Amino acid sequence: MKPLDELQREFFAAIQMPLRGTSRESTELTPSDDGHSEEFLEKARELMKPGQNLSSEERLELYHRQYWFRVLDSVAEDFPVLRKMAGEQVFWDLMEAYMMACPSGSFTLRHLGRKMPEFVAGWEGLDEPKRRWFSALARIEYAYMEIFEAADWEPVAPEQLATAMLGLQPHVILLELPVPADLCEDWETFEPEDESPVWLAVWRGENRGRLQCRLDDVEYELLERLRKGGTLEDVFAEPASREPEPEEISAWFAAWQARGWIASAPEGDVIDFMPARKQAVGEMDWSGLDKMGSQAVAMGEE
Amino acid sequence: MSASKFTGGVELATGIGLRVPHYQHILSEKPAVGWFEIISENYMVEGGRALEVLDMILEQYRVVQHGVGLYPGNAGGVSRDHLQRLKRLVRRTKTPWVSDHLCWGSVDGSMSHDLLPIPFTFEAARKTAENLKMVQDFLETPLAMENVSSYGEFNGNEMTEWEFLAEVCELADVGILLDVNNIYVSSINNGFDPLEYVNFVPPERVAQIHIAGHSRYERFIVDTHDHPVIDPVWKLYERAIERCGHVATLLEWDGRIPSFEEVWTEARKSETWRASAMEKRGDHEAA
Repeated sequence: MKPLDELQREFFAAIQMPLRGTSRESTELTPSDDGHSEEFLEKARELMKPGQNLSSEERLELYHRQYWFRVLDSVAEDFPVLRKMAGEQVFWDLMEAYMMACPSGSFTLRHLGRKMPEFVAGWEGLDEPKRRWFSALARIEYAYMEIFEAADWEPVAPEQLATAMLGLQPHVILLELPVPADLCEDWETFEPEDESPVWLAVWRGENRGRLQCRLDDVEYELLERLRKGGTLEDVFAEPASREPEPEEISAWFAAWQARGWIASAPEGDVIDFMPARKQAVGEMDWSGLDKMGSQAVAMGEE
Repeated sequence: MSASKFTGGVELATGIGLRVPHYQHILSEKPAVGWFEIISENYMVEGGRALEVLDMILEQYRVVQHGVGLYPGNAGGVSRDHLQRLKRLVRRTKTPWVSDHLCWGSVDGSMSHDLLPIPFTFEAARKTAENLKMVQDFLETPLAMENVSSYGEFNGNEMTEWEFLAEVCELADVGILLDVNNIYVSSINNGFDPLEYVNFVPPERVAQIHIAGHSRYERFIVDTHDHPVIDPVWKLYERAIERCGHVATLLEWDGRIPSFEEVWTEARKSETWRASAMEKRGDHEAA
């Protein structure tokens, strides 16, 4: 018997090989006439004991298809607007290429799409404008996942603004994008307009749902400073790229306060936790809560 | 076995897995369920709805944590980040024990998100037990290992699955979460007698039992958790209780999830089988 680490590396490499045959036909991936590689078949015979009902190859294939069904379903679910904009074939080619290049590095399937914006930006299956737009769009859609599970910090009371150490609420994600990809959500097909940059904030609202708005570029700059943490004086210590009007600053701060964005980091070690805020049962949205629900379901979806 | 060091001294009866389609019913109707099992990884987050729901459940119910991503059979060891997140959740839930699967699932930080079978070798048993000892020491909470459903065996296995389970749990001194449906599924897929498995498991280590339904295909069975429990699985359950005594029992239903009432009714069927098993057990003890 091989050493354990060698066996696990070889088994894992085999189940990450591209899907073939009837397993592939059970997915949305572009069909392929190619059969399994000789490498896959040899590895199956080498590792797996044949059984009464299933051959070594069929046994390894059950794990192989289970891996792909699960990751494809999960990652595709997280990028619905990208799917609509890219069209089915391009989208699934992209998902397959992405999972081949960027296997999951997290304990949770929620983080599967973490490297999608970077991957799309360099994927050869798209032309240059689409790379820019789709990468920006993927960044927005991944932010929706990030706000879902980010921490809640205690908002800073207005009378403490001048003296407290300030920070930006962790579930506020700031995005600087080269194209206005936030418009894509309302499009039926991909119809790019002018490529002016946009600054966005995506955050978790009071009902735990997703909210987003566009920001002024200087507002974004100040929020980035707030993200780094410090006193009010620290936030304004350096001149901004454009000197904002006092009325602008006043309006921005009022909006940030109203949304609970200005907050203080809790004290304590890594094991401590903040109590979650309470909400009425009837107002709660349960979607996305059971991403890791069952390890068995993907394989049952024949 | 009722309460023991493997259950943190806590005795629980029948429970069900906490699943999203039932949240509304549970939080508004507050049904009389003994306990809920949660999937740890769904709540190993910094904030948001998941923790909010969990805190509301914890106000009303006992919760036991069940994980799908510890991967104690990994040759490369267990993720430190995973353990820290898990420990933080343990403090939140005050779970009497933590369970996960006797499997591996990642290599060099790349995750399969699957419960992959461990080769049944002495080397793998030693490595897995070493990982488990470290986990249990870190968590400071009793640990129970669940036997997984499998769809194949490795060439070169040096023992049976049940011998491997017992060997690892003895070496690491951890408890067992005995999934009788998984035993049945693996017995069909790998061709062994499921009763021999149940009869071999060290009864004093069994902290919890899982029951579930599965899907039968032409040449194999898949552990889908989307059907009622079938009679052969109930019979394995009865035999397990006969050997182990009163053990916390949990019904898993993860796919095509029916109403809360239907799931709870299915789970409560275990009480009839348990009573019959305890009667047989009493007969043995009297004899």
